[in-house]
Amino acid sequence: MASHDPEARLSHLQSADGSATFSHAGYTVVGAVNGPIEVQRRDELPEEAVVDVIVRPAAGVGGTRERHLESLLQSTLRQIILINNFPRTLIQVTLQVTVSPENEYVNAKLSQAATNLPILPTLIQTALLALLSAAIPLTATVTAAVLAIVADDGASTIIVDPTAREIQVSRSLHVFAFTSRDELLLNESEGEFTMQEWDNAFATAQRQCCPAPTSDDVDMEGGSQADLKNFTRSTLETKTASDLYWK
Amino acid sequence: MPREAEPSLNEKAFFLQALQDGHRLDGRKFEQFRQLDLQFGDQYGVADVTLGKTRVLAKVSAEVTVPYPDRPFDGIFTITTELSPMASPAFEVNRPTEQEVLLSRLLEKTVRRSNALDTESLCLIAGQKVWSIRVDLHVLSHDGNLMDASCLAVVAALRHFRKPDTSMEGETLTIYTPAEREPVPLSWLHTPLCITFSFYGDEGEMTLVDTTLLEEQLKVSSCTISLNKHGEICQVAKLGGTPVDAVSLVQCASIALQKVKELSTLLDQKLAEDSKRRNKGGLLAELSAENAR
Amino acid sequence: MPLDTSTYNLALLRVDGRRWNDLRRLHGQIRTQAAADGSSYLEMGNTKVMCVVTGPSESARRGGAGGGAGGPAASSSSSTATTPNGAEIAVTIVTGGFSTVDRKKRSRTDKRVQELQAGVAKALAGALHAHLYPRSTIAVSLHVLSQDGSLLACLVNASTLALVDAGVPMTDYLVACTAGSTSGHGAGDEGADPLLDLNGQEEQELPFLTLGTLGATDRVALLVCESRVQVGRLEGMMAVAADGCGHIRAALDRIVRDKGAQMVREGAIAKGESIGMDLD
Repeated sequence: MASHDPEARLSHLQSADGSATFSHAGYTVVGAVNGPIEVQRRDELPEEAVVDVIVRPAAGVGGTRERHLESLLQSTLRQIILINNFPRTLIQVTLQVTVSPENEYVNAKLSQAATNLPILPTLIQTALLALLSAAIPLTATVTAAVLAIVADDGASTIIVDPTAREIQVSRSLHVFAFTSRDELLLNESEGEFTMQEWDNAFATAQRQCCPAPTSDDVDMEGGSQADLKNFTRSTLETKTASDLYWK
Repeated sequence: MPREAEPSLNEKAFFLQALQDGHRLDGRKFEQFRQLDLQFGDQYGVADVTLGKTRVLAKVSAEVTVPYPDRPFDGIFTITTELSPMASPAFEVNRPTEQEVLLSRLLEKTVRRSNALDTESLCLIAGQKVWSIRVDLHVLSHDGNLMDASCLAVVAALRHFRKPDTSMEGETLTIYTPAEREPVPLSWLHTPLCITFSFYGDEGEMTLVDTTLLEEQLKVSSCTISLNKHGEICQVAKLGGTPVDAVSLVQCASIALQKVKELSTLLDQKLAEDSKRRNKGGLLAELSAENAR
Repeated sequence: MPLDTSTYNLALLRVDGRRWNDLRRLHGQIRTQAAADGSSYLEMGNTKVMCVVTGPSESARRGGAGGGAGGPAASSSSSTATTPNGAEIAVTIVTGGFSTVDRKKRSRTDKRVQELQAGVAKALAGALHAHLYPRSTIAVSLHVLSQDGSLLACLVNASTLALVDAGVPMTDYLVACTAGSTSGHGAGDEGADPLLDLNGQEEQELPFLTLGTLGATDRVALLVCESRVQVGRLEGMMAVAADGCGHIRAALDRIVRDKGAQMVREGAIAKGESIGMDLD
């Protein structure tokens, strides 16, 4: 149903400085970046740029769930944006969720107290693409993945990019984000898991997000599992090529 | 807070001179819309309207709640609009601008107060359970004429939306999930759409439809007329600005009617295309035949 | 509130005994508040509005004038309209909780009130010579004491009177009036009559519009319609409302002239050469 292949569009919004739409694993997020712009006096930092993240749900007004996501994203993005280059300014990232996967078997409540982790990788990717589109200097790019650990009579299996139904039956859920230098930038885990399981999940996520450079050519044998790092690179290459192409 | 960039005096002079000579900057005729595209999402109740560079997305959602005590037989129907910094850095979060207030009032009057949606049909158990239908309007890109684009998106999303099917057996109310029973459309009474006219010149003698952001910033006054294809006006709003001849306003109303007819036809056609696309293999027809029995 | 409008067809008299083109009693006072720069009190039937104008005074806002509409000031309780390189017009409407039958308090952040404020502010911006007062604010504060239909029209008329009192130059009186139609929204009822100056009962029952014109001309500064009506009825309703606006302009002019004459009589101002107009 929902395609697992990521899709992206860059710089398609009129008035934002940078923008991107990114779809992956059933989620579609539109992101816009404005910056560096004037910052409100009380938020101003004398030596750094303020990074402001706004997450808006597709339906309903944002609540604690969105605030939580915003704070996670804010601290993650602060690490990769060269905030020291823009003192006393604001870099504003607006992320609008437009499609989130629906569970056919449940009638969704509007203000669902559901878990907020599965959407996090898509939000991170969209923010990254929008930042790149706005030409904000970054120290590194970032790739993220979500994994679910499902207990299968004793043996636990790890599912990358789980569906809404798989998340429901999973024992634990993990989100990892790595920089392009293969450093772990963000980890959020919830549920019940052993240290061993976490190690396994970490290894899987690392394989997913940071493929060894040598295996670049044979990477396609990984099947539908998208390699997001290469995806980001190729998206930008295509965009740059088309921008430089003289009509 | 950053302000919206204002057109320069040169731009203004050039634009007005061009208008005097009968030209618009993008080569359109005075009464011509930009390229309009309407797309529906994979899910029910999502409409994405692109009008030139303006892009608006509306999403409808439904849930069961308790009705207002003073209206026990009516469902709840709300339209929320919030302009985010995505559309323009001049918009701030949680600080509604006047534009936002006027937009939400316009949608309220055009769609809600004109009874386009039959709220009584949303009642499940009088005084206890009703459907609450909520439309969230997201402005993704703002290049003028938000009003017309938003109104079309909201109406299209509502007409596209399907709410879960329900049944009453004695005292028990069952709400079926989409997997159990095909969701049902809302009870829709008429299709109101709005057309905004902008006036230019010292006397407001030149009239444009579907203005871009630049044109919008240079207008001397504007008038938004909402009506349906049967010629019933739901709302007219010309809030101030340079006074305009009454005769030209009456003319605007008749142009609006013609435009609304075109837009309704387009909407009907898009909805038909979409249902055909969803109905691949005639599965839906089979299901509805079963339900009819 | 079910109201039997069918009796209209029999006697051609409305619920309050008026004919189709009768205005309600219009009573106005000007210069009611000694401390204000300009003030007025206006009754249109049982709709009663008080208006106080302060200014033109120094702009309270930093950042300067000249910003487009929808500027930062909308977050405060008043709605503003700016004219290019001119004064900013800030309108605040306060509705008394006692002004309607159902003692419902409308907060100032209510979108309906904000829309009314924006409507009045923008209409005034088109009529005033605000370019004479750059970088300043004209604050119009309106208080609704009693509501019985034609509220927007009454608000506009009261602010015009108060602005005349404040001595802000304007092209002509900005006057507004409502008009309705006895037809339902769907019916192609040919015998439907337009009605002038609707009261609260009629507003609930019939489609109506509010029309504001600049003086007794056909030039429309304000047109607001919030009910369903056939597009063909629009012209007739507008014509009747424009006619009503002419009468209201005359009435407002009378109020202003009477007050002026009274002030000359009382010696508040000397009848000098500059007052060349006829102050009977």
